[in-house]
Formats: sequence, C-alpha cells, structure tokens
Amino acid sequence: MAKTRYAFVIDLRRCIGCNSCSVACKSENSVHLGVWMSWVKVIQKGEFPNVSRSFLPLLCNNCEDPICVTVCPVNANRIEENGIISTDPHRCVACRYCMAACPYEVRYVHPIKKFVEKCNWCLHRVKVGLLPACVEACPAEARIFGDMNDPKSDVSKLLAKHPVQVIKPEIGTEPHVFYINLDNDAIEKKRKVDVL
Amino acid sequence: MIELVYDVHHQVTFRWLIALYFYFTGMSAGSFVISTLAYGFGLEKFKPAGKVGVVMATLLLFIAPIMLLLQVGWPIRSVWNHFTYLNFSSPMTYGAFLLMMYPINCLIYGYFMFKGDMKRTKIFGMIGIPLAITVHGYTGFILAFGKARAFWNTALMPFLFLVSAIVSGLGMMIIILLIRDRFFTREKKINTELIYTLATMLGWMIVFDLALVFCDISVLSIAHAEAKEMTHLLLHGELSPLFLGIENLLGKVVPMVLVLTPKFRSITTITIASVLVVIGILFMRFVVVYGGQVLPIV
Ligand code: SF4
Ligand code: SF4
Ligand code: SF4
Repeated sequence: MAKTRYAFVIDLRRCIGCNSCSVACKSENSVHLGVWMSWVKVIQKGEFPNVSRSFLPLLCNNCEDPICVTVCPVNANRIEENGIISTDPHRCVACRYCMAACPYEVRYVHPIKKFVEKCNWCLHRVKVGLLPACVEACPAEARIFGDMNDPKSDVSKLLAKHPVQVIKPEIGTEPHVFYINLDNDAIEKKRKVDVL
Repeated sequence: MIELVYDVHHQVTFRWLIALYFYFTGMSAGSFVISTLAYGFGLEKFKPAGKVGVVMATLLLFIAPIMLLLQVGWPIRSVWNHFTYLNFSSPMTYGAFLLMMYPINCLIYGYFMFKGDMKRTKIFGMIGIPLAITVHGYTGFILAFGKARAFWNTALMPFLFLVSAIVSGLGMMIIILLIRDRFFTREKKINTELIYTLATMLGWMIVFDLALVFCDISVLSIAHAEAKEMTHLLLHGELSPLFLGIENLLGKVVPMVLVLTPKFRSITTITIASVLVVIGILFMRFVVVYGGQVLPIV
C-alpha cells in the first residue's frame, strides 16, 4: 500500500461560519491570545438586499514542497512520514524567516514562549488514530481529514468525486488543503494596508 | 462589492531591526570594497580612503549582527543552533558563516594595513572582496527566498542590494572623509581631488542603481496579480511617499544631479548629496523589508 499522505478537504458548501473549529483548535493546542493556528475568514458580497457571506476556513496547508522547511536555518521544521510538517520548539530560534516565506501566513511567534508555531493538523492526535480537533468539532461536517493515498478514505472519495481547488496553486508549494466550492473573491487580496 | 467582514491579525515578520541590519552590512560591504581600491588594486589615489574604509567596514559589521540578535527570539541559542543544525537550503545558514568570517578578515586586513605590511594587506583585501560581496549579497537572497512576497521574490534582489550597498558605502565614506579632513587633521585641508573622484563614482553608481530599480519595477508592474498590486502600492499607494519621494527622488535623483552636473559641483553640494544618499538608502532598506510584507497574502 502507498505511503500515508494526509490531506484536508474543506467543503465550503457546508461551512456555516460557526467558528467551532477555531475554538476547538484554541483549546486543543493551547493557542495563545492574539494568535491563531486555524481561523475562519469572512467576506460579504453585494449590497442589501442582495447580499451573501462566504466563509473561508484557513489553516496550515502542510505543503508537499514547503518553503518553510527550505528556509529554516536550523532545521526546526520537519516533514513527517505522513506528510505533516512539524515544528521543533527546541530548535526554533524565532528568526521569523519561515513566517516571511510562507505563502499562507499561518505561522506566528508565540507571544510568551518566543518560538514559532503553526497548525500541524493535530499531529499528536493523528498519531494515535484520532481526528484533528477541528474536524471533530465541526457540526456541519465541512472539514474532512484523512489519507489521500488510501482510496477508501473519505478524503479520497471526495477528491475523486468533486472539483476541488487549493489556495494560490501558482506559488508552487503544493498545498494539501483542498476546498470544494472555493470562491476566488474570498482569497481576494485587497485589504486595508497600513504603513508604519 | 466585496467587503472583508472578519479576518485575524497577522504578525509583521521583519521590521526596522532587519532593515537596519541590511543597511549596516550594506554600508560595511560598500566601504570595504572601496578600501581595496588602494590596498588591493593599488590605485594610489584612493589611499586616504583605504584606512577609513576598513575601520568603517569592521565597526559596522560589529553593529549589524547586534540588530539580528535583537530581532531573533533566542539570541544565544541562535548562534549555537546555526552551527549545529545546518540546513544547506537556507540562505541564512550561509549568512551565519559569512558573518563570522567577514569581520575576522576585516580585522586581519586592517591590522596589516595599519602595520604597513602591504603584501599581506593585499592578500587579505583580495580575500575580503568576495566575502564582502557575499555577506551583503546573501541578505538579498534571504528576501528573494521569501517566495510569498511579490516584491522580494526576484533574482534581481541580491544585485539591487549590492549596488545600493556601494552607493551608501560611498556616501558614508565621503561624509567621514570630509569630517576627518576638516576637523581631525593637522592641515585642516580637504582632499578635494579624492572627494571629487569619489563623488563621481557615487553619481555613476546611483545611475546604475536607478537603472536596476527601473528594471525591477517595470517587470513587477506587468507580472502576476500581487506584483501588480505591489507596484500600485509603490507608485500610487501608501508606500509611494517613501518609495518615490524619499528613496528615489531625494535619495537618488537629487544627489545624482548634484554630483554629476559640473555646474553644481562643490564640496557643499557633495556633502548634501552624500547625506541624502545615506538617508535614502536607509529608506530603501525599510521600503523593501517592511513594504514587501504589507500586502496581505490570503
Ligand atoms: S502552509 Fe506555510 S507553514 Fe504550512 S507547510 Fe506550507 S509553507 Fe509551511
Ligand atoms: S522562526 Fe524558527 S522555525 Fe521559523 S525559520 Fe526561524 S528557526 Fe526555523
Ligand atoms: S466548524 Fe465547520 S462549519 Fe463551523 S466554521 Fe469551522 S469549518 Fe465551518
């Protein structure tokens, strides 16, 4: 059998923007105040009464060719057997280079412990056969996690059946969070820019 | 109409400290290269600039890593880990070695220069040139490897950094030579010939720098969506006062005109031009380092 390669499918047709995933992540991973491993971006389109909201849950893509691993000077990021990228708090020196290079802005410096953290798809849970906390928490079953090399997994079935999209495929890190029904406007870059 | 309703706050990665680090290493590399004109390549005319150059290069390269240590979360561990857990795909790894070797070479080179041992000075000057170029060139690679950011991710980055390093090194050296000649020599007489020569070099380096910036920005302006947005930000948006106004107009065009037009040329205008250049390059570092990150990426 092929090597395990974990992947996420986020079915945006189902997501209701409840943020249960964000809360579950905060509590499972003790994510500090003011920083996020997994969050839900919300955009609104149109004007009343013709409005709609879209939700875009974001998290580390645990890329196949991760630039964070390439640039870390002290090898603090490791590609695990199952494709997940883990970070080693004992090696990280918080130079922030990986944060600057990651195309998905998923890394942050822990405000107190001063090393870089990011979502690792709950590696500690996955290793013992549990699902990531956000997947367990999602009431709409919009988050699906599993081995994409196993044809019988839910992830493989969804990937085989639906057109999927990743965020910024052109950047070439081969992200592994696949979205069903992704709206390009939700990853529209324009936001207020404050200089200084 | 698309409106952002909610998104989390992202930490800004690099700020002034990294900009200053780049600024100081740049100036150091620039002044080192100029100092080798006399002591490495035997151009007698530049002899008075040689000693100033090596002292500047060494001092600046001792200040620069302090900025780095203030920036990283674990300064002491970082020195240790950089040499124990090597990752050869990261430009920062090479940086750690260069930041060790370059100042040591500067010290040896300076030592022989002050002792008057010309043969050895020349040898260490020659070893120093590639070191100076790489110690600053690698900082350009650091940004170029930040592939998420359209403004950084260009192969021109190391060259932009090197040319601006020479520009700021020349500017700083002219200022220091003027101060030294005016106040700290017995004759209190400015070596006009040397200053004029350095000023001409400065002018032409600025021309080269502007040409590189033009190449960079013009390609950026027709590249992918983010690159186009970045160009807009630099030319018409929030960054344009810093980028166009301070960095390029005050920091490059005005000094270039001042030093290259024979009518304007005097010690006063050269002084003004050098001060403007030194400030302009500081803003260039800031615009590149900080400005490169202001565009949200997801
Ligand atoms: S999303 Fe960013 S942090 Fe996560 S693996 Fe990819 S490059 Fe690394
Ligand atoms: S912040 Fe930590 S994990 Fe990121 S590149 Fe630096 S040492 Fe590596
Ligand atoms: S928990 Fe599920 S439905 Fe709720 S915001 Fe997260 S992905 Fe969407």
